[in-house]
Amino acid sequence: MLGSLLTALTAAAEPSRSAGRTTSERIRRFETEQLTLHVLAATIVFLIILPVLIAALVSTKRAGIVTSIGDLAPGGHALSNYRRALIGLEFWRFMLNSFLMSVAVVVGKLVVSLLAALVIVYYRFPYKNAVFLFILFTLLLPVPVRFVPLYRLTTELGMSNTFFAITVPYLASATTVFILRQHFLSIPASLVETAKVDGVGPLRFLWSVLVPMSRAVLVGVSVIMFVYTWNQYLWPLVIINAESLQVAQVGLSLLRGQASTGEVAWSMVMTGSMLTLLPPLALLVLFRRQLLETFTIQQK
Amino acid sequence: MSTREVFTDRLQAGVLLLPTMVVSLVFLYYPTVRAVGLSLYRASLARGDVFVGLENYRRLASSSEYLRSVLISVLFAACVVVGVMAVALCISFLIHEIDVGKGLYLVAVIWPYALPPAVAGLVFLFIAHPNIGIFTSYIEAFGVDVNWFSNGPQAFVVVLIAAVWKQVGYNVIFMTAALGNVPESLTETAELDGVSRTRRLLRVYVPIISPTLVFLVIMNTIYGFFGTFAMVDLMTKGGPAGATNILIYDLYRTAFQFYEFGFASAKSVVLFVAVGLLMYGQFRLSDRYAYYGG
Repeated sequence: MLGSLLTALTAAAEPSRSAGRTTSERIRRFETEQLTLHVLAATIVFLIILPVLIAALVSTKRAGIVTSIGDLAPGGHALSNYRRALIGLEFWRFMLNSFLMSVAVVVGKLVVSLLAALVIVYYRFPYKNAVFLFILFTLLLPVPVRFVPLYRLTTELGMSNTFFAITVPYLASATTVFILRQHFLSIPASLVETAKVDGVGPLRFLWSVLVPMSRAVLVGVSVIMFVYTWNQYLWPLVIINAESLQVAQVGLSLLRGQASTGEVAWSMVMTGSMLTLLPPLALLVLFRRQLLETFTIQQK
Repeated sequence: MSTREVFTDRLQAGVLLLPTMVVSLVFLYYPTVRAVGLSLYRASLARGDVFVGLENYRRLASSSEYLRSVLISVLFAACVVVGVMAVALCISFLIHEIDVGKGLYLVAVIWPYALPPAVAGLVFLFIAHPNIGIFTSYIEAFGVDVNWFSNGPQAFVVVLIAAVWKQVGYNVIFMTAALGNVPESLTETAELDGVSRTRRLLRVYVPIISPTLVFLVIMNTIYGFFGTFAMVDLMTKGGPAGATNILIYDLYRTAFQFYEFGFASAKSVVLFVAVGLLMYGQFRLSDRYAYYGG
């Protein structure tokens, strides 16, 4: 495979070989190339940031109507806008609900998945592969495919409009079990053998050896789960009707209607959007290293 | 047999697995099985369920509205996959080729991964609004009449751009990681041979990172089908005239606007089969075409 690749490469080589140039020429060419790359990258970064930049600017203005680039100067109403959204329009309630939901799901998923991964890596029992497949297969069953019967089930259990409805169905996670399993498999087997010889039980081993050795992965997984839960829209929209229990994602459209009855108050909507974006973005920036490490495991 | 498997108490194993198994069974498997069962009934909110056999599926097959939704979903998902991966590959390659400040560019590009789809929908609704959108007047200066509240293809494109924009960051995370693993020696050989940049990307890097690309095709397809619900709901509500009525939105409306739970269940069974086939097909393809190092 590698050989044929190199042959193809050599065949594709251009006639003008850089080896023929003088050193200073090559350095100069290299520098202008790097400069071009930086200009290109900066342009793309700007384009990707632009929509949220506009939203951020609009969230500081009184009237949210911006029809040309000239209207984009930041307004002086940032403080009053954010105060009005959070307190006046009670957006803090939606934020709090989202936060509680996400923390509960992260903690619950971590505990449940750690136990499952522990068993899958460190226990010998019959039908182990079948159990692992049973867990992995749930990847094929995302919320959107099953939300109609899930809605019926939750309603029949009398759990619609409860905290239970927006947390418990999320507790099992094939992705988390899989990532933890991959990570555990990279920890030397001799560790668990020593632990066993020393009479350390499985839970003790999990808590005092595996968890400390998995810190980066656990943080990464937690960030992934938090972002995923925080960003949920469809299921809360369907199962939560009580406004006081609603989450930020759905609350945004309530904000849109509530801010003003006739015309949409866009500065309020953009203020709400910025507030909703902040928690997952902060986590991403703070824990980007652990997050990237975890993604690398997921890929393997 | 791995030497890691030092614990043998089956009862313990069962107890520790219990939470995962119970939640999977009750909230993942049971609703899926029940969707299959429910799809054979005429079921609504208040009245009792009436067994109708395959009636719901017959209705689906003969509904031109539904077939259109299928077509739009497939087209939308395909455009999302191609658009996201092309853009993300360019960006990742650019970051890979840059010598200083890589980390900074990476963080500046991947953050939309954390962006809530609902926020993406609202922000794009605002900046691309036909009347008050910030770029609307500039685009109209080119002779394009921006009116995606009533023009179907325009609505499709606007939602698509929002969807691609939100997903690029996720792809860049995986692609830069994969590019970072390409052996340095290969790059050097290619450079010494005077292979041009684009050629190096397409002929050397793309084949080597193909396992990652296949993984991303799967993730992006699922995203195209499901992850864009909030954007469709907030931007177009499936309109105008069904132009952005992707399957998941159609399913949502059937269930929670018309309360036809049986019919909606038939639709979710179709969606389940489609996703299953897609994933199966892509795993098979990945075996055949993917390059697994060596």
